[in-house]
Order: sequence, then C-alpha cells, then structure tokens
Amino acid sequence: MSAQSKKAQQLARQLFKTSLADGAVSAERVAGVLEYIEKHQPAHAMQVLKTYQRLVAQEVARSQAVVEHAGQVSAAILQSIAEAMTRRYQRPVSAVAKPNPSLLAGLRVRVGDDVFENSVAGQLATLAAHV
Amino acid sequence: MSTVLEQIEQQIAKLSNKAVKKNTGTITAIADGVAKLNGLSDVMYNEMVQFPGGAIGVALNLEEDEVGCVVLGDVANLKEGDEVQTTGRLLSVPVGKALLGRVVDTLGRPVDGKGPIDAKEFYPVERIAPGIIVRKSVSQPLFTGIMAIDSMIPIGRGQRELIIGDRGTGKTTIAIDTIINQAKINRVGLASGDKDFRPVYSIYVAVGQKSSNVVRTMSALEAAGALEFTVIVAATAADNPANQYLAPYSGAAIGEWFMENGMDALIVYDDLSKHAVAYRQISLILKRPSGREAFPGDVFYLHSRLLERAARLDGKGSLTALPIIETLAGDLAAYIPTNVISITDGQIFLETDLFNQGIRPAVSVGLSVSRVGSSAQIKATKQVAGKLKGELAQFRELAAFAQFGSDLDAKTKAQLDRGARIVELFKQPQGNPLPIELQAAVLWAMQNNYFEAIEVKKVVAAATQLKDFFLTRKDPLLTKIRTKAALNPELEAELKTACDEWKTTLKA
Repeated sequence: MSAQSKKAQQLARQLFKTSLADGAVSAERVAGVLEYIEKHQPAHAMQVLKTYQRLVAQEVARSQAVVEHAGQVSAAILQSIAEAMTRRYQRPVSAVAKPNPSLLAGLRVRVGDDVFENSVAGQLATLAAHV
Repeated sequence: MSTVLEQIEQQIAKLSNKAVKKNTGTITAIADGVAKLNGLSDVMYNEMVQFPGGAIGVALNLEEDEVGCVVLGDVANLKEGDEVQTTGRLLSVPVGKALLGRVVDTLGRPVDGKGPIDAKEFYPVERIAPGIIVRKSVSQPLFTGIMAIDSMIPIGRGQRELIIGDRGTGKTTIAIDTIINQAKINRVGLASGDKDFRPVYSIYVAVGQKSSNVVRTMSALEAAGALEFTVIVAATAADNPANQYLAPYSGAAIGEWFMENGMDALIVYDDLSKHAVAYRQISLILKRPSGREAFPGDVFYLHSRLLERAARLDGKGSLTALPIIETLAGDLAAYIPTNVISITDGQIFLETDLFNQGIRPAVSVGLSVSRVGSSAQIKATKQVAGKLKGELAQFRELAAFAQFGSDLDAKTKAQLDRGARIVELFKQPQGNPLPIELQAAVLWAMQNNYFEAIEVKKVVAAATQLKDFFLTRKDPLLTKIRTKAALNPELEAELKTACDEWKTTLKA
C-alpha cells in the first residue's frame, strides 16, 4: 500500500469518527463532513470519499436489520425483530422490510456481516450442500 | 396422549424453525488463489471460509478493513461481489487408517478414483507441536534399508533428517526406498506375530511435483506392495499455491494421528524448496513485507513449526520426518537450505559428482550427519559399522592426496584399496532396500576381509552374490541376527562358517 493511499484511509477514518453521534451515524454530521470535503478538497479526494462511504455503509448496516421476506411481514414482526436485534447487539437496531420472492418462504435478517437465515431457500441450499 | 404428541410436534417445529446465524463478507479482489474480502467481522485466524460454488478458503490475514484469504479450489468461477461465509471451523483433514493406500489432496479428499474415504476423525491442519514434557529422546531405529545410511547416518523414530542435494541426485529415491523398506519390515513383523512389533506407516507429501512424478511414485509403491501402508498427499504443480502451501501441514496432521494413537509414522515432504516458493507467492500477493530472496520474514517459522511436529512422544508413538530440499549447484549456504539444516537433526547430502561417477545412492559421507547418532542403531550395526564413517573419511582424504603422487607406501595403498571396496559395497540399486540383518552380515564380511581378495570392479557383483547366498541359504542365521539385534561370538562363528562357504562357491 502506498503512503498516499494510507494517508487517504487515515483521513477517511477520521472523518468517519466525526460522523458518529452517540455511537450511530448522524445524517447532520455526514452532511457537514461532505460540505467540508467539498470546500477543502484533500489529495486523492476520490479515494477518501470511497473509503468514507464504505465505512459509513458498514456502520449503517450494523444498526439496521434488513428483513428479507417472501410472504407478508407485519409491522409487529418487524418491531419484534428490531427489539430482539437491539437486545442481541446492545445497540439501537431498526428493522427494514425488503421483499425477496426467491426465498420461497420464511425470513432472512441481515445485520451488518451477520445473516440470520430462516428461509426455505436457505434450507434447500443447506440440504443441497450436504447431499 | 395427544398432549404428548403436541409437545413433540412443538419441539420439532422449534428445531425446524431455528434460524441459522452466518457471518458473511464479500469478495473485493481475487488474484492467483488469494482473495481479499470485505466483512467477515467474526472470522478467526486460519478459519475455513466457504466460497460460492463449494470452494474452501483459509483466512490468513486479518486486517482492520479486510481479510486476506487463500482459496483451496477452483477460483475460475469466483468474482468480485460474491458472498463468502465463515464456517466456525479451523481447516481440518480426515485422519486414520482409512487413508492408508489412498492418494488425497490438501483437504484430504481422495483423488485416486477409488471412492470416498470412510474417516471417522478429523485433525486440524495447523497444530502446535508437542511440548517438552511429553517428548522422549530418539532411541529406536528407523531403518531406511540403504546400507550407507543405516550404517553411517542412522535415523531414529521421531527424528527429522533432511535429504538435500541438487536436482536428479536421487533424493526422492532415498525417500521412496525408505517407505518401501518400512512396508517390508511391517510385513515381516506382522507375520511374526510379535506383540511388541510396532509397524511404521508412511505419508508421502508431494509439493509442487509434476503429476507424472506422483503417478510414478504411486506405481513404484504399489509395485513394491508398500502402498497399503502409505498415504500420499498430493499438491502437484497444477494445484494453486495455497494447496501447495498447506499440503505439508495436512500430511503432518495425518501423521500426528498415528503418533497420538500409539503408532509410529514416517512422513516425507517432497520438497520444502517448492513449499517455500509457494508460500513466497502467497505472501507477496497478500502484500506481506518481503525479505531475503523476496521470502517473507516468517519463512523460518514456516518450516520450523512444521518440522517440530515430528517427535517421539512418551507413552505414545512417533512421527519421523524426512524433508527434502533441492539445492542449486550444490549450494548449501542458500537461504532455505541453511534454515532447514538448522531445524533438522541432521542431513543426508547427495552429490552430483558422486552420482555421475556411478556411486548411487550418491551420499556424501563427509557432509552428511545424523545428530541422533548411534543411539538410533541396533548393536549389531554398531559392532560392524562403528568405524566405517571415519575409515571412509580417511579414504577420501587419502584419495585426494594420492591423485597427485604415484609412490605410495603399503599402508596407504591398503587403506585406499579398502576404501574403494567400501564405496563399491555401498552401491545399491533403487527400489531394493536391504533388511538390517543382511546389511550387518555383509558389513561383517567386509570387516573380516572377505572382499579383500576380490577385484574392486567385481565387489558389487560379489556383494550381490553374498546377499543372495544369505537370503536363499542362510535365512535362519539372518533371523537370529534380526531377533538378537547383536552379534555374539556364537553368531560370529556362524557368520564365519557362512562366509567361508560363500567364498568356496565364489571360487567355483
């Protein structure tokens, strides 16, 4: 890794840290950071922004439970998933529904890197892998 | 009753609806069998990672933002953005007697077309070597069947003896002959019904070898009836460097099972030069800092942690390692050879000049050494071959001086003649390991001047005749030497009678 790209990553990390408020990404702060970058464009601005985007996206994914579902999913279920994930990760996690008919039936919940699979498609894939 | 059924149904429903947690990541870059991954926040060092399409990877670099992972399998179908999962398991291979007679890849999957392997146990590929307390000093011999080695550079069970030499000097041949000899000894020992007999199982690890060579080795072992006591772990030149890097560790894990379960095993790493090159390739792609000859800083640890796994355990079995190193133009001072020489308990150095002179195995007696020494020899061999190494060294020195002058005193001439005969006597065709009792008998004959009257050129033929004579007509005597493992006056008298008898047949 070149020295310049290291510096770009360091700057992106610093900007990311300033974008957090109470351990979560704050929209206001992100807007402020973007404004700052536009005004004081750093060297390798593209690389800084890409790294910054990746870090923010990771953090957002960590605080959001994407609930993929094949059938109907009620607001109460989403609420209970959000509560369960908040308890599990000990940080506020919100739930977002995302229809995915390829699951056939059931749910797949994604929080950051973790995936909780409880769908027919997932079970079929496990079965296929073991046969 | 219905409530009971409901309860069971509820239990089944609980199980079938149980969500499976997976930790995932995505491929950000992939090159030469090494993938860079984003995510996988829960991955452990050396954990197996599941790629789409069934390929397995091993997490080697855990960085702040990304994970560097070697892929063991086909990378052709992998692309940027593909999802990868952790498995929660360290890389492990099947172990046990079910693998004997089989050819497997780095992950222990059969590649010989003989069907699946019914292994009950799995051992992790990377394992910490046995500690100090559990080890026992090396004192039991492991016979190679090669007279020059068994008499002068003895190898013991649990020892690490390096076989080093240029290309085409017979390094693999020595290793294969040793494996064949173990099979021969096993067969005799198992047939004898001796309860104390400990068979030696062999593991041959081919790293970066040509596939045709692996086939040749397999056929040689099969033809000699040694394959049934052998496991071949093949990571050929066609396999990606990740497989070549991990194959010796897989082999070591297979060998450790025998050791841990009170059995003796022999493992051949053929060869560690190519292993180091494969590791260098992976390290450079993983952007680890490179050092001398572009090898990474931990190339010493790469081999030391592997070879330290060979040991003799107190109250259990042993694992003997025969690593092979290929040198360039006989340069022992190169980076990898010096590393491995310092790790092992001795080396068998094979010289191109000797090989070209027809002295095969081309063992250079002066440069070869076994640090375990005579504690790994039976008494009979010590009695007949104790002074051989010194005699041969003296002979080489004298021969070097003698080529400059023609006038030699009678004593020097006698020493030269004797040395030349010893050199001839040690010539041995490949694939023909000799039982230790026969070696002792032939060396006894040599020590007692039975070859003195024979012309130097005819020593090889005479020695072959003597071996045939002992094998066909003096089998009970050989059995006595084998069981007693020492020569007493009685046996020596019998040997004298036998050799006298042989001499008369020779004249006739």
